[in-house]
Amino acid sequence: MTAPRAARFGVPLALAGLVVVAGVLIPGFMSRANLTTILLHVSINGIIALGCTFVIITAGIDLSVGSVVGLAGVLAAATLTSGEVLRLVGPGLAAVLAGLVGIGAGAAVGVLNGSVVARLGVAPFIVTLATMTAARGAARLVTGGVPIGFPDPGDPLYARKIAALDALHTVGGGRIPVIGLPSGFPVPALVMLALVAAGAFVLVRTRFGRHVYAVGGNEEASRLSGVAVGRIKLGTYAISGACAGLAAVLLVGQLRSGGPDAGMLYELNAIAAAVIGGTSLFGGVGTAWGALTGALLIGVLNNGLDLLGVQSFWQEIAKGVIILLAVLFDVWMKRADARRRARAVRI
Amino acid sequence: MATPSSPAPPLLALSAVTKRFPGVVALDAVDLTVLAGRVHALVGENGAGKSTLLKIVAGAERPDAGTVALDGTTVSFAAPREALSAGITVMYQELSLVPQLGADANIFLGMEPGRHGLLDRRRAAASAREALRALGAQFDPSTPAGELSVAEQQLVELARALARDARLIALDEPTAALSHVEASRLFEQIRGLCARGIAVVFVSHRLEEVRRIADEITVLRDGRRVFSGAAAEIDDAGLIRQMVGRDVEYARLGAARPVAGDPALEVRALGRRGRFSDVSLSVRRGEIVGLAGLVGAGRTDVARCIAGADPVHAGTMSLHGAPYRPATPREAIARGVVYLPEDRKTQGLVLGMSVRENVTLASLAAFSRRGVIRPRAEREAASRQTRAVELRPPEIEREAGTLSGGNQQKVVLAKWLLADADVLIFDEPTRGVDVAAKSELHQLIRGLADAGKAVLVISSELPEVLALADRIVVMREGTVAGELAAAGATAEGILALALPASHAA
Repeated sequence: MTAPRAARFGVPLALAGLVVVAGVLIPGFMSRANLTTILLHVSINGIIALGCTFVIITAGIDLSVGSVVGLAGVLAAATLTSGEVLRLVGPGLAAVLAGLVGIGAGAAVGVLNGSVVARLGVAPFIVTLATMTAARGAARLVTGGVPIGFPDPGDPLYARKIAALDALHTVGGGRIPVIGLPSGFPVPALVMLALVAAGAFVLVRTRFGRHVYAVGGNEEASRLSGVAVGRIKLGTYAISGACAGLAAVLLVGQLRSGGPDAGMLYELNAIAAAVIGGTSLFGGVGTAWGALTGALLIGVLNNGLDLLGVQSFWQEIAKGVIILLAVLFDVWMKRADARRRARAVRI
Repeated sequence: MATPSSPAPPLLALSAVTKRFPGVVALDAVDLTVLAGRVHALVGENGAGKSTLLKIVAGAERPDAGTVALDGTTVSFAAPREALSAGITVMYQELSLVPQLGADANIFLGMEPGRHGLLDRRRAAASAREALRALGAQFDPSTPAGELSVAEQQLVELARALARDARLIALDEPTAALSHVEASRLFEQIRGLCARGIAVVFVSHRLEEVRRIADEITVLRDGRRVFSGAAAEIDDAGLIRQMVGRDVEYARLGAARPVAGDPALEVRALGRRGRFSDVSLSVRRGEIVGLAGLVGAGRTDVARCIAGADPVHAGTMSLHGAPYRPATPREAIARGVVYLPEDRKTQGLVLGMSVRENVTLASLAAFSRRGVIRPRAEREAASRQTRAVELRPPEIEREAGTLSGGNQQKVVLAKWLLADADVLIFDEPTRGVDVAAKSELHQLIRGLADAGKAVLVISSELPEVLALADRIVVMREGTVAGELAAAGATAEGILALALPASHAA
């Protein structure tokens, strides 16, 4: 079970239509530079949405990912610019370490979410609302409320810290030279595409992925079939947290700084991308490619309206309408499904 | 019909009411006449059509044919609300109170007194208090309904019915969760209702209660009315005969034979708080044991405990002689013990998944390498098993939710055969399945036993138990009431064990 037929083709078609319309109407939209910019802008949201998709397929929800971006980001930035770390290892290794710390912190919050949801049976909405609040507080506590990044010019380790920030920037803000693209292909977009492909493989081809769909499709039937429901849920929240942590690391690399308020409201964009991409909040339905398509749709819309000079307030309204349409579509598909089943029964 | 001559038309008259559900005729041209101020008992086995009849009276289902007349005038209720305002209240076993609201608020729910949408709380509370006092209630009317006992909640529902000027009150197994004293009090209330000219329809399994309270009795069997008349016209033996004597008999598959050998599954003095206690039974390899009893006797609870789905509080189990106490279905499955739930749609299948994905769900590890599924191996296994259970159509990519009940059951069975189960517990394996698919499933189950599996079959259909089982264990009110060898067993014999002889809860 992946997604209803209409969702599988409907959203990509809508995306393609939007791109064509924007290409015709908006000068400069179809330029290579603009298209790579869209990909870059989409990549953070796309990665977070991919993680959320796992959770939402199990009929759960993860509201904590935005705050995780903040917390994982400041921890990664703190590691990257820590005197202790930089005295021991070079800037390249420090960047690797910072990446692991960021992803690890995200995964840790995810494991916490998953444990409470799976073992204590608390509603995912409440659990992740709590960790969303707490993680944001922790990020501010760690930093005292100010971003961690550029060292003071008088800092004895100034050069090393700059080198470390530059090292991570090659991932978060770097570009890979590609023939035909004057400014190259953005590394975060590459990371996103690779992750989506990996996510699709996990969901479609692995036992874990099959169990994720089964738990979302019918938790009790899955439990009675011997699926370790708790472990599967825990796994999806860990994946969601780790994806948010990775997004945070890319963001720190891109900005050369980790701020405690980074990632504010990102959870809503990610959930929106997943839902627009055909993932059902009722569970059991969704794809990794859907998360990508949803994120791209939002990205193209924002970019197109930007280029048209539409006020950002209108952009928010447009995004709201699209989310609503996607959810209505989901409800409608579910009803059509039920009708189809009622008709087809007795074969 | 033994209708006493009365000048006025009966309060409620159903004539030739028919209701069909996919694959089953729930009610077949049923007549029912209920008179004001009388108690009319409705009895029958599980699945005889009592609940459907109540739903039609309540306006929750519409008959496919036949008429419902109130005071001689034909009515057609489109919704329960219309039946309510016509003075008909049905009290289901699951009471329909809002647990957080007080008893008084519940009484007026949906018809709150007041003006301009503002609640007149004082007036509501006063009227509620009065209605409850009239029924002899002892508790504070503002107590949240969830904190009241079942008997007290029933009083609240009765008070609600009275506040709505009910003329007919139907009670579905109202004494199932009551103590002896509470039941007696309820009967007094019912007498009181009759004295006010209210008609009461009383559904019960307990023949002793029916004897005590009923003026008229109607017996349903397989959706047909097989008896209707004054209570004095029929004795207990006659009632039981009317309830079980059927036209449909299943062919006995293979001789019912005592199976020798050591038990595969042995359950000793098993108990689960509030559900069942002191249940002992055993199933041998190659044997089909039938678990008979009324709905609510605890059969499903026992099955779920054996399959690790619910925790056990007392007793021991052993499997092939080794101790066995699964904490999760996963552990039970690993030991080869599986449960095929009664409700396949909510517990047996992931409806949105394909047949293939459902069939391999419990044994994916066998078709994957390092967590990655091998598609061809999976497809082959799914095809093989769906062929073995003769799924029709044999399409493994078809969505499970689009299959008929019998085929859905086959998919669940295929899943467990693939998982190498050797103790299979079927809960109502043929409920909602048409007759042809039923006998096919019976053959499949018999084939499992012949292949050396140990099989426990829960069924409320006595002919099914008689046709399948080698041995029959009968449960009554949460414990084992007796055991019968299938060879000499009769439906009457099983029912005599299954029916509570007297109210002793």
